[in-house]
Amino acid sequence: MKKYKDVLFDPIFNNNPIGRQILGICSALAVTSKLETSIVMSMAVIFVLSFSNLSVSMIRKHIPNNIRIIVEMTIIASLVIIADQIIKAYAFDISKQLSVYVGLIITNCIIMGRAEAFALQNPPVVSFIDGIGNGLGYSFVLLVVGFFRELLGSGQLLGYQVLKLSTDGGWYVQNGLFLLSPSAFFLIGFMIWVIRTWKPEQVEEE
Amino acid sequence: MKVLRRFFDKQEKHFTSGGKLERLFPLYEAVDTFLFTPDKRTEGPVHVRDVIDLKRTMMIVVYALIPTVLMAFYNTGLQANLIYQQTGLPGDLPWQAEVIRALGVGFDPSNLLANVLQGALYFLPVYIITLAAGGFWEVLFASVRRHEVNEGFLVTSLLFPLILPPTIPYWQVALGISFGVVIGKEVFGGVGMNILNPALTARAFLFFAYPAQISGDKVWVAVDGLSKATPLAKFADPVMEVTASWWNAFWGFIPGSMGETSVFACLIGAAVLVITGIGSWRIILSVVIGMVGMSLFFNAVGSESNPMFQLAPHWHLVLGGFAFGTVYMATDPVSAAMTRGGKYVYGLLIGILVVMVRVVNPAFPEGMMLAILFMNVFAPIIDRIYINRNIKRRLARNVV
Amino acid sequence: MSSDSTKKTIFVALGVCFVCSVLVSTTAVSLNSIQKNNQKREKLKNILAAGDLLQKETTIEKTYQTNIDPVVIDIGSGKLLREDGVPPDLNIQNFDLKDVSKDPRLSETIPPDEDIANIKRRPKYMVVYRVMEGDSVSKYILPIYGKGLWSTMYGFIALDDDLRTIRGFTFYDHGETPGLGGEVDNPKWKQTWEGKMAFDQNRQLRIQVLKGSVDPSDPNSKFKVDGLSGSTLTTRGVDQLVRYWLGENGYGPFFDYLREEKS
Repeated sequence: MKKYKDVLFDPIFNNNPIGRQILGICSALAVTSKLETSIVMSMAVIFVLSFSNLSVSMIRKHIPNNIRIIVEMTIIASLVIIADQIIKAYAFDISKQLSVYVGLIITNCIIMGRAEAFALQNPPVVSFIDGIGNGLGYSFVLLVVGFFRELLGSGQLLGYQVLKLSTDGGWYVQNGLFLLSPSAFFLIGFMIWVIRTWKPEQVEEE
Repeated sequence: MKVLRRFFDKQEKHFTSGGKLERLFPLYEAVDTFLFTPDKRTEGPVHVRDVIDLKRTMMIVVYALIPTVLMAFYNTGLQANLIYQQTGLPGDLPWQAEVIRALGVGFDPSNLLANVLQGALYFLPVYIITLAAGGFWEVLFASVRRHEVNEGFLVTSLLFPLILPPTIPYWQVALGISFGVVIGKEVFGGVGMNILNPALTARAFLFFAYPAQISGDKVWVAVDGLSKATPLAKFADPVMEVTASWWNAFWGFIPGSMGETSVFACLIGAAVLVITGIGSWRIILSVVIGMVGMSLFFNAVGSESNPMFQLAPHWHLVLGGFAFGTVYMATDPVSAAMTRGGKYVYGLLIGILVVMVRVVNPAFPEGMMLAILFMNVFAPIIDRIYINRNIKRRLARNVV
Repeated sequence: MSSDSTKKTIFVALGVCFVCSVLVSTTAVSLNSIQKNNQKREKLKNILAAGDLLQKETTIEKTYQTNIDPVVIDIGSGKLLREDGVPPDLNIQNFDLKDVSKDPRLSETIPPDEDIANIKRRPKYMVVYRVMEGDSVSKYILPIYGKGLWSTMYGFIALDDDLRTIRGFTFYDHGETPGLGGEVDNPKWKQTWEGKMAFDQNRQLRIQVLKGSVDPSDPNSKFKVDGLSGSTLTTRGVDQLVRYWLGENGYGPFFDYLREEKS
């Protein structure tokens, strides 16, 4: 049982795919200007990651080595299309904001990386949990970045005005930088800084 | 002086290791060496004697900045008073103008004292806030990382208010310099390690975070809500108004960021920097060459819809922050290229980029900040190419 | 049988492809109708927003069906086209400005000296939405678009039946700087358009977007709209696209046609 717990929670702080392995940064910059989009994106990634790990792991003993990558890609791509279609059907407003980035989950290195590094060597259940764990690690970063970008950039959280904007007669002056993608770089940088100060063992040796 | 020295010597024990304020040693050290010669001696066998050290380098830059500071005082007041003369005093004055009224100095734009005093009332609070907010971070990082507070901050903190508009809200000043010091410098390890110029990083942060308070046409004159674009921005307007005479722009009697309007003041500063060898004349020269070349190119190409294509090189020189950026920012020894050839490439590209941003991009009439920051990022790569070439050449020379 | 044999490779490849394709096509097909519906609703919502008809009580479709009557007009002549005159390529229900203005069959290039909105091409036919009150028209919702600072801004302007008063103004698609030009979709700013007069008594186009804010004591303030502070170029873009579309090269002929009809 402890093993499952480690597999699930390790990727959140100890071995975060974005914070430690610096994978999957692209979408973390693109979709985090609002908390809502971050949440939906996180859910899509958790879905794709866990099921791709599960399916790859289930057929891991049958995948011929020479077409390994293609088989994995096919599975991941199919799952991404399914996720994209579902979002388009049931969360249309958000799908417009996410535009191509759901489709681009295919190129998110975390998914391919976990399939290669974990699912090919481990049984289905633990692979599935590893997928959820890494998805949660990714989500954790996305949610934190999305939280600060929406709050500081537009004074809102999930679309509700939390800080009253000066343009509407309030006190908070919108910080436009947080609506631009580079701000996610700064925030992720800060997060890595904080996590590594908290857990110094994560600092790479020079 | 002796009394002060004795006071410092007495206090020292609290700050050295074992003292109760040990952590604040950097603060003590900074104040001490600011007032007295540092008591550090070179240790070990290698011993180079030179009058110039980091402290003196930075102080010379500060001296070189004095003309622009004086112009900032004068011109900020002048621009405000010109408006007051035209429109009369409005009902609710900014507090700076209230102070002037209380002092009875008056609002006559031809009165030197009235202008300088009013300008100082705009400049000094921004400067003091910069010192306080930036200094806080400097001391904090120095205390935690146990190094000394560096004189580099004196330069940064003086540069930053000079490139801000007079109407900038004070909280933005504090926020901007905090970002500049922490992200622009300390995350890379402090003075000497930074790849970006901290003062420019701070301004870029404000520019993208709060564009309404640092760009557009409402912020350049210290009169509330008055719309007066900088001459450079006016030129970018399809109406293509020339709102200043070339000589006015040269002396700096135009609206703009507080310290950057006067080319004349920058030239004095450039002379100081070049003669003392602190600022690289190679960089200054090549930035100017790049700018002239690129603007002549645009003049030759021409465009029907974009009047900025027609702006001649001698106008590029005097408008916006070109002169100020070239003299004080591009030459920053830490963030500029270091190799001799690299300096030429670095400067040329800054000159070219400035004109490109100014002319081609409709949203940013001012390109100096972005051009310098952009090239700051590339400076290490340029240096690397030149160093590798040098290594190869020397290897080839010594083929056995 | 080893996993790496040719037979097994082909077998696994086919198997994976089959399972995946079944899964993907099932989801795509089963969700298709919901997605189509979403897109349509989105479109209707924008139209209703411009006509100030969004109500919480009824569904969007219902409001649209009872209140809105889309008609096709020929931009050049300004005439309303009857059902049989409508070109077959034009889809009234799914009229999309973005596609139509790029379609060579349905659009034409604008001479550069007329092109103040900086759009290069304009549709030959436009779908105009009439807001009905009983049997009579109360407002016209007109699609408009033009270049801002970074992007082409798409929106609607709603005109009263008197063809002078502006009843609503909205942009539904733009890529302007958030916080500056992006304020074109700020509801407060949109509201300032309501009740402004586009034309004076002599049918002269008078509406203009200022660089600063409107002085309320100005006798002509009803022809003037506040600019967006800090974004000169987006403001100019809005000003020019409104003047273009309400002017002679835009809906001008259509307004003439309507006035003639009435008299």
